[in-house]
Amino acid sequence: MHPIFVLLRKDFALFFRDRAAVSLTFLVPFALIYLFGQVFGVNRKDSGPAGIAFAVVNQSADPAAARLVDALKAEKTFRVITQFVNPDQTTRPLAEPDLLPLMRANRFRFALVIPPDLLAGDRIGLHLKFLTDPLNDIETQMVTGILQKTIFSNVPQLIGRSWQARARQYLGSQNAHDLNHRMADVITSFYGGDRDEMVRRMESGDFGLSGLNGTKDSDTAPAANVFSRLVRIDTEQVAGQDVKSPQATRLVGGWAMQFLLFALSASAIALFYEKDQGLFRRILSAPVSRAHILWSKFLYGVCLGLIQLVVLFFAGRVLFGIDIAPHLGPLVVVCAFAAAACTAFGMLLAAVAPSAESARGLATFLILLMSAIGGAWFPVSFMPEFIQHLSKLTLVYWSMAGFTQVLWAHASPVELLPTLGILAAMTAAVLAIAAWRFNKGRIFE
Amino acid sequence: MLALRSVIKRYGALTALDDISLDISPGEFFGLLGPNGAGKSTLMSLVAGLGAPDAGTLTLDGTPLSARNTETRRALGLVPQHLALYLALSAEDNLRIFGELYGLRGAALSQRIDEALDAVQLNDRRRDPVKTFSGGMQRRLNLAAALLHRPKLLLCDEPTVGVDPQSRNAIFEYLEALNRDGLTIIYSTHYMEEAARLCSRIGIIDHGRILALGPLDELLAQLPFEEEIRFPATPATTPLAASLAVHGEIFAADGTHRFRPRADYPLSAFFSLTESRALPPRLFTSQRPTLEALFLHLTGHTLRE
Repeated sequence: MHPIFVLLRKDFALFFRDRAAVSLTFLVPFALIYLFGQVFGVNRKDSGPAGIAFAVVNQSADPAAARLVDALKAEKTFRVITQFVNPDQTTRPLAEPDLLPLMRANRFRFALVIPPDLLAGDRIGLHLKFLTDPLNDIETQMVTGILQKTIFSNVPQLIGRSWQARARQYLGSQNAHDLNHRMADVITSFYGGDRDEMVRRMESGDFGLSGLNGTKDSDTAPAANVFSRLVRIDTEQVAGQDVKSPQATRLVGGWAMQFLLFALSASAIALFYEKDQGLFRRILSAPVSRAHILWSKFLYGVCLGLIQLVVLFFAGRVLFGIDIAPHLGPLVVVCAFAAAACTAFGMLLAAVAPSAESARGLATFLILLMSAIGGAWFPVSFMPEFIQHLSKLTLVYWSMAGFTQVLWAHASPVELLPTLGILAAMTAAVLAIAAWRFNKGRIFE
Repeated sequence: MLALRSVIKRYGALTALDDISLDISPGEFFGLLGPNGAGKSTLMSLVAGLGAPDAGTLTLDGTPLSARNTETRRALGLVPQHLALYLALSAEDNLRIFGELYGLRGAALSQRIDEALDAVQLNDRRRDPVKTFSGGMQRRLNLAAALLHRPKLLLCDEPTVGVDPQSRNAIFEYLEALNRDGLTIIYSTHYMEEAARLCSRIGIIDHGRILALGPLDELLAQLPFEEEIRFPATPATTPLAASLAVHGEIFAADGTHRFRPRADYPLSAFFSLTESRALPPRLFTSQRPTLEALFLHLTGHTLRE
């Protein structure tokens, strides 16, 4: 046999003896493609965003306002929050002063206030107040569009009632009533129909405007133009107004986390080198315990990760103008917690994998997966709801939350505590599993 | 000094150490001789505190040795079978790391590093990365790293694997000097000549059991013969081999007949037989008993099998 074929056969023989390589080549792609398909909503009928937390404060006594709230609740894009949960777990209706603190705490990024003067007599149209934290640009545009669609398509009679109220203010109740009757007379004389029913519908604000909401896109566009002039939405951005480089600030957390995960996983996988070199045997023959080795590795990873993150954010400052200087203290704290979580993840990989090669394959698989479902690539809210729940189990999600809280919302140290607490808990849990596996495994033998 | 009592260590179904009891006295140079997989490294690991026995006890000067008791390890120095060195770092940096792990600091550490590098003749290469060293130099540094903290007991786990003869000799001389200065050494090897040269007492280990234990002379005295006569296994010598069977033990290996005469069989009778068969004297060589022969006698197989 030609030497090339002998060597080729040798390589295949080696490949098929490496179970980790075989599984990475054949099984992992199937798992990865399936999971990414789920993340990106491939072949799902309802592939749009779902379950975006959306707070609604209804200050209006008008039944139509309640219908608007119901319509928003029926929209699958939103998870409508109308109740405030007290510390003792009792609830009360959400009030406008509750919104800003809760938005700063990242409980939700969008809120609608339906004011008492929803249908004020001094103007035509609706008055609504919309609060946004446009942490993610695409998500914000999507939410705004769906909010407008929901208002326009579900409660057009609110606008008719607004007209009636204006008419009564200017003409007086009797004259407005007479006007409705005369309009009904003219319409029925030309087009026929039930005059009394028409008067009743006009006085209830139903001018048949819902007919403007066509199902085709070409029909919807003019309707939107008409309504957008009639629905006054006062939009208020509650966070990120003064961010100097919004796009880069939004993205930097995701970049940072992927970079950090790959770097620290590689660092942890270096444990196999020390094992193979017999260095652990020598170190453990000194007055050194396994815990000493693991803690030193953990602290090394945290320090390395912290330095890498700080350098990365500094590069973001130099290259893209990300404003880090005013928030350096909290940023370093979040970086330290993120680095700790990533280091623990890397150590877990080294603890569960039988060899450096399989650890590297597993790292690639898990880092890509965590980045995707953790929101490093695109908004979590665009993913199916079960993936959204899964994303909250990833350190990518919470690390990014910490970065954006600091750089976007300029959160105070106290406001950062919940996120840092979750990251610390994840780190502790992952580290405990890793330590248990290290002690059960043979890396120190 | 070191006492092992009924030590058993298992890895799953494999019993790596099977009821080992052993005492090592202060100043002893003890050799642990056995083939690969005999249990030498497992025994070294347990003494070094790298694992716990499944049964039995190990004590050093009366103090139990265990994986949890890290303080007793200050009295031990391990020269691992692997080159347990950071190859990207310099010789001096490696020694500094391992010295600091034993609590050495400052001037005292620097002095120990100087002494250790002098002793293994690497002082002129102290700042070079270890990866630029020859295999023998790396082995010498491997040994120096175990001695920085001046242990009472040095554990050498096959420390000359892959070493050139010159470096091997340098390591032997250094170990002999250390032992003369009172250092107790346990030296595991599968090279009989190393055990024969260095060790005042030898334990022969196979399949996790110590088969024989004692000074070299005492061990060799256990053999039922005093001499081994070897001659080529050819058609011309086959009748001779057949006739010798009644006078002792004879077997063929590697194309050679090995005849171990009974103690009462005179050599003169042997040479009368060869003369009668017209076999020239140059075909025959006589050897004193060796550890290899002892190992073969005890186990039925050679050290290399």
